[in-house]
Amino acid sequence: MIMNRRSLLTTALTLGAMKAFPGLSYAQARPLVFATFTGSWEEAHKAVLVPAFRKANADAAMVLDPMLSVDQIAKVNAAKANPPIDVMLHDPGPALVAVGQDLVEPYPVEKSAYYKDLIAEAQEPMGPAPFFQVVGLTYNPEAVKTPPTSWADLWKPEFKGRVGITNLNSTLGTGWLVEIAKMRGGSEANVDPGFKALEELKPNLAAVAANPGALATLFQQGQIDISPGNFNAIQILKARGVPVEFVAPKEGAIAFKTTIHIVKNSPNRELAFKLIEAALMPEVQTTLMNPPYLIVPTNSKVAMGGEIARVLAKDTAELKKKFVFQDWKKINEQRSAWIERFNREIKI
Amino acid sequence: MGAAPAARDVTSYGMGLAAPLALFFLVFFVAPLLQLFWLSLHNDTAGLHWGLGQYLHFLTDPFSLGVLGSTLLLGAEVTAVCLVLGFPIAWLYQRVGPKLQTVIILIVLLPLLTSVVVRTFAWIVILGRQGIINATLQSLGLIDTPLKLLYTQFGVVIALAQVQMPLMTLPLITALGRIDPNLDDASCSLGAGSWRTFFRIVLPLSLPGVIAGCTLTYAASITAFITQSLIGGGQMLFMPMYLYQQASTLQNWPFAAAISIIFLLAVLAVVSVFTTLGRMSRGYGGA
Repeated sequence: MIMNRRSLLTTALTLGAMKAFPGLSYAQARPLVFATFTGSWEEAHKAVLVPAFRKANADAAMVLDPMLSVDQIAKVNAAKANPPIDVMLHDPGPALVAVGQDLVEPYPVEKSAYYKDLIAEAQEPMGPAPFFQVVGLTYNPEAVKTPPTSWADLWKPEFKGRVGITNLNSTLGTGWLVEIAKMRGGSEANVDPGFKALEELKPNLAAVAANPGALATLFQQGQIDISPGNFNAIQILKARGVPVEFVAPKEGAIAFKTTIHIVKNSPNRELAFKLIEAALMPEVQTTLMNPPYLIVPTNSKVAMGGEIARVLAKDTAELKKKFVFQDWKKINEQRSAWIERFNREIKI
Repeated sequence: MGAAPAARDVTSYGMGLAAPLALFFLVFFVAPLLQLFWLSLHNDTAGLHWGLGQYLHFLTDPFSLGVLGSTLLLGAEVTAVCLVLGFPIAWLYQRVGPKLQTVIILIVLLPLLTSVVVRTFAWIVILGRQGIINATLQSLGLIDTPLKLLYTQFGVVIALAQVQMPLMTLPLITALGRIDPNLDDASCSLGAGSWRTFFRIVLPLSLPGVIAGCTLTYAASITAFITQSLIGGGQMLFMPMYLYQQASTLQNWPFAAAISIIFLLAVLAVVSVFTTLGRMSRGYGGA
């Protein structure tokens, strides 16, 4: 931002005026604020969702303010009565935290034109899921000649020192551990088998990345050849020419609901509802499903196509069969204990 | 020092000039710090029950103490590497012509002009399995399988040493520049060899610079969240990452606050050791 004398003066005057006339608060006049995620999410929303919303709502003013889920929660928490954000976007873990802390309003389901068309798993009364994130197996096709088919393949001796994972700070890392536990007879309430499996995975582990983004770059460096990975992140790498492939394991790909919520006490409640409606629209979801975004749709009226139909699911029925949804309420109960345990036990 | 008669003492200034910055620090540093301390004195995440539970938890937990220890050790290792590698550069700087001096200063400052994220990513490329080091060693036939350099303590120390090197070299250059070159000649003409001159004259006189450089490098390297997490990976836990995990992922703010306070005190203790050494060295250098 360029600060010149005039803009500085205007700002100072505005601040002074707001001090002198407290009624003149920013909240009543501000545009709709949507806190999306940073990176490819922001790009996709700027290019597709925002224009669709503005077209449907007489060019209503809106602002994208991308930030992490935890930051959204912290900001709204700090000013509950007059929140600086109107619409929040969350992974399943933080979504439950936001609902638990009473930061979001129930979605006006009866008013919604699209809610009933969402597939059952995406119908969340406290905030529907306009998109899914999908986690499966990622591998380097130049080094791994036979494509993996199961999570169990990560334990194969041929991948000694070639496997990458992330720690449990991320939704990806936690969700994957739960899935491994389930594969070995555990559940969301009992991840002991998962930790035992991790212990056996140690000889194969080349890296425990600090976050999913760092994990993706390890493919670029040839540091790892196979790992659990996020479908969207892999498509971005692939588009940049990195040799990576995504495959849904036969146990099912892990699907995370990315939910969108109206913030409690939002001064722009009606527009917030309209924005969420736009995100649920089949037209918007179809555009976001196509390259370069490849975001998995949740509206059953959207016909699956392209890369998503090829590697994930051809239609809603197949999607339901191939996706595994996890109980994040149960996961959240014990997540901190798991992170602690992971800190202590996983040293390579 | 001036002989001119003055109505008032011109060497002392009113504190008024420092007031804006002092106010800024009071509002944006001291106040949040107090808030942090207040938060750390609560036993539950909602901040309702007072108590020292968070501190007890940390100080009686071998794992947490291990994280603190390994972080302080990491700082010591990085500081040692920077000192050993940085001193010769600073020494050389004082003994070359002005052209080479510009080159040296440029090389020393260059890392500061690049973002720390970019520098750290460069180290991922250098240390990786197909990185420059491994590729060179393999093409020379010295190793068969690539060495594991990334995600090791060694990798973190080397990368941090490069990232923080200017903080060590710049104070050293200043300190060495203040030493009268005649002292070297005097020492030699009195029969001391160059090593003896170095250890008895140059090193003691440069100690203030060494202390300043060590303090800066140490403080910067133990708090270097980006480099530590990108080069060290998700399983090497240092204090900044531990703090982030508790505050951000787990929303356990009181424990995170207690970690910060303990970390702050530990760093202050180390820094005060440095400054005590510095004060002693001033006496030594003057003798």
